[in-house]
Amino acid sequence: MTNKVLLKGNIAIAKAALESGCSCYFGYPITPQSEIGEFLSSEMPKRGLGYVCAESEIAAINMALGGTATGTKVLVSSSSCAVALMQEALSYAASDELPIVLVNVMRAGPGQGYIYPSQGDYNQAVTGGGNGDYHTIVLSPASVQECADFTQKAFYLAQKYRNPVILLVDGLLGQMAEGVEINTNPYQEIDNSSWRLDGNKDRTSRKIHSLEPNETALNKHIVEMHKKYRYIEENEVQCEEYMLDDADIILTAFGSLSRHAKAVCNYYREQGVKMGVFRPITLYPFPKKRLSELSLQAKQIIDIEMNMGQMLKDVQLSVLSNAQISFVGKPVGSWLKKEEIINIIDNIIKGGVNAGI
Amino acid sequence: MQVFNVPKSIKKDCTFTFCAGCDHGVAIKLVAQVIDELNIQDRTLAIASSGCSVLLYNVLDVDCIESPHGRGCAVATGAKRAFSANGKDNIVFTYQGDGDFASIGLAESMHSALRGEKITAICINNTNYGMTGGQMGPTSVLNQVTTTSPMGRNEQYHGFPIKTAEQIALCDGTCFSARVALYDYKNIINAKSAIKKAFEYQIKGLGFSFVEILSSCPTNWKLSPQDSHTRIKEELSKIYPVKVFKEK
Amino acid sequence: MNFKKEDENYIVCGAGGQGVLSSGSFLAYIFMLDGKHVTFCSSYGAEMRGGAVNCEVNCSDDEILNLQNDKADYIIALNQTSFDKFISKVKPNGTIIVNSSMVQENRVRQDINYIFAPLSELAMNLGNIKVANSIALGILSKITGNFSIETVKQATQNVLKNKQELIQKNIEAYQTGFNYTQKGDN
Repeated sequence: MTNKVLLKGNIAIAKAALESGCSCYFGYPITPQSEIGEFLSSEMPKRGLGYVCAESEIAAINMALGGTATGTKVLVSSSSCAVALMQEALSYAASDELPIVLVNVMRAGPGQGYIYPSQGDYNQAVTGGGNGDYHTIVLSPASVQECADFTQKAFYLAQKYRNPVILLVDGLLGQMAEGVEINTNPYQEIDNSSWRLDGNKDRTSRKIHSLEPNETALNKHIVEMHKKYRYIEENEVQCEEYMLDDADIILTAFGSLSRHAKAVCNYYREQGVKMGVFRPITLYPFPKKRLSELSLQAKQIIDIEMNMGQMLKDVQLSVLSNAQISFVGKPVGSWLKKEEIINIIDNIIKGGVNAGI
Repeated sequence: MQVFNVPKSIKKDCTFTFCAGCDHGVAIKLVAQVIDELNIQDRTLAIASSGCSVLLYNVLDVDCIESPHGRGCAVATGAKRAFSANGKDNIVFTYQGDGDFASIGLAESMHSALRGEKITAICINNTNYGMTGGQMGPTSVLNQVTTTSPMGRNEQYHGFPIKTAEQIALCDGTCFSARVALYDYKNIINAKSAIKKAFEYQIKGLGFSFVEILSSCPTNWKLSPQDSHTRIKEELSKIYPVKVFKEK
Repeated sequence: MNFKKEDENYIVCGAGGQGVLSSGSFLAYIFMLDGKHVTFCSSYGAEMRGGAVNCEVNCSDDEILNLQNDKADYIIALNQTSFDKFISKVKPNGTIIVNSSMVQENRVRQDINYIFAPLSELAMNLGNIKVANSIALGILSKITGNFSIETVKQATQNVLKNKQELIQKNIEAYQTGFNYTQKGDN
């Protein structure tokens, strides 16, 4: 027998958030992530914690601004087109250096799209949908277990760097159930007494703001933010490497689609093709340095995504060798199947041309 | 002999940068006096919104966070709920303009009132967008000339202004809603007592408390400070009655 | 190099209200209790009651790599619409278990195995039409040999907790399925 429980990704995220010490949840319903809010709507009041069915996603993420400013761990979850609504406050949170954890269980876009799964929000998450010169840390789970583990990690990184963290979840993963263990939070608590707003009892009053009319001060603030981003890029990059030791052909994929890439890799390995899979786990910071190194030994890089090639640009920027870069993708819907990917890759290998999509 | 005291909750040696004759200074002073009298300075969180009202955080000596335009009540909701989740009884209030509270942020304001969030909202109603140069706002009255209603606000063309304190009073979660003015001493005293009541209602945990303050904007109204107050007394307070609309 | 063998894929399909998703997730739970890797995906849409519902269960000794599959080794079809729609999804040499109380017997494909069992009738004989799916799981246990009735009993107790009567009824249903033989089979 096993210690695991069978949970949907969404529920695993909610349970892991509670385990991380999350005290408030603010949200608005949208498929395919509503189970997170539904689950917490019964759990939070039981524990005397904060839960608001917000009037909109705009309100929800702004509640998170207020909640995190007090030094409290806050979870917000939503999906794609509604995450688009939250971008203003996310930009504020980045500048205010507030540790909001935002879960985006991706559906299909653009616009309303549909509730089909997709990986179309890579750009929105990684390059930032809000205004100004900022980054959010982006974690990409590939399994329900990782949905839980990375939720805990998201809270830790958010607190550690005082920066918003996005958990970018495939819609498929939010709705899919797997065996999972919700671990006790393995991360240390970060002391936030130096910045939180909880009353100026034994100290001078503080203000948290992004408005800065002083040009010099605003420049300094942004430069400092970017020093933090450089540090994060040096220290927090995470990736998974699968059969890459001798690989001539590297498949790149993120999220749950990377598991299909591994199945494809297994098929080619059985044919004697030296193939491996490179999966970025942190999409920001992107594991650029490692992919650069690996690309030196590779003849071909094939990027596979459930979109029209969003991570592809980061792959292209990372590859410094003459390795040929191809793309296999599909914008929305049922995940590209092993057989579909193999058909296209057969052509790429034979023809050596970009035969993707 | 000292005849005038700066409230303890006003920062030492700070500069008020509001235009001459603007009522923001008076309003903030009243809020500071109330915070002093209720002895809540060390557990108060102010939410400063976008527009002239954001300057609150340069002068008020309490913890402060600036909110995106219109989202003051949502930010306050999040903060108050977070305090409550941690067993703390901190006081949270927003200080917003009428454009912030009643136009771009109407959904957040009204839903906070409907939910009965235990927060206080102070709304400075000066019948235009002040910081951006006097454009027509949700509270600009009929026939009012602004930079975006140069022929005057026309009910057929521009629609009607919002009576915020009356609207908020209609929300079941509201425990206190009042409109006050600052054009003479009597009104200033009444305004302070309304602000104090609003904070007291929050301390008692009775629900959403709200004070709308009719304020002058001499620069954008293109009137002297005196004439601005006359306008509030003679014109605005007839359209926007100064009274308590709800008191639980 | 040692490569993992292919996963086993199961589909349960029927109409909303027939307990499609609960029996699918229960099947996944059984495999999980046996220490296997499982994934469970329900048909992804805003299905109303009475609409078509299906779910996919994948099971393996290793990490499951193919999360969405076109075909399945075993399919349980609870009504006519789902039988018509999903018969093409059975892998060659795979098996479809059909609720013949609601589906006309029609062996259109020659390359697959059929088990037509009057699940609804058998369930009504046991006094509760809702246990039709449990009978199907009993049949599945018998023909796959992938999970024991003992595990099923344990899983039932874990899920239904204190509802002793319901636990008993379901266990009876598995046993009925496990012992079921089609007309013509020996």
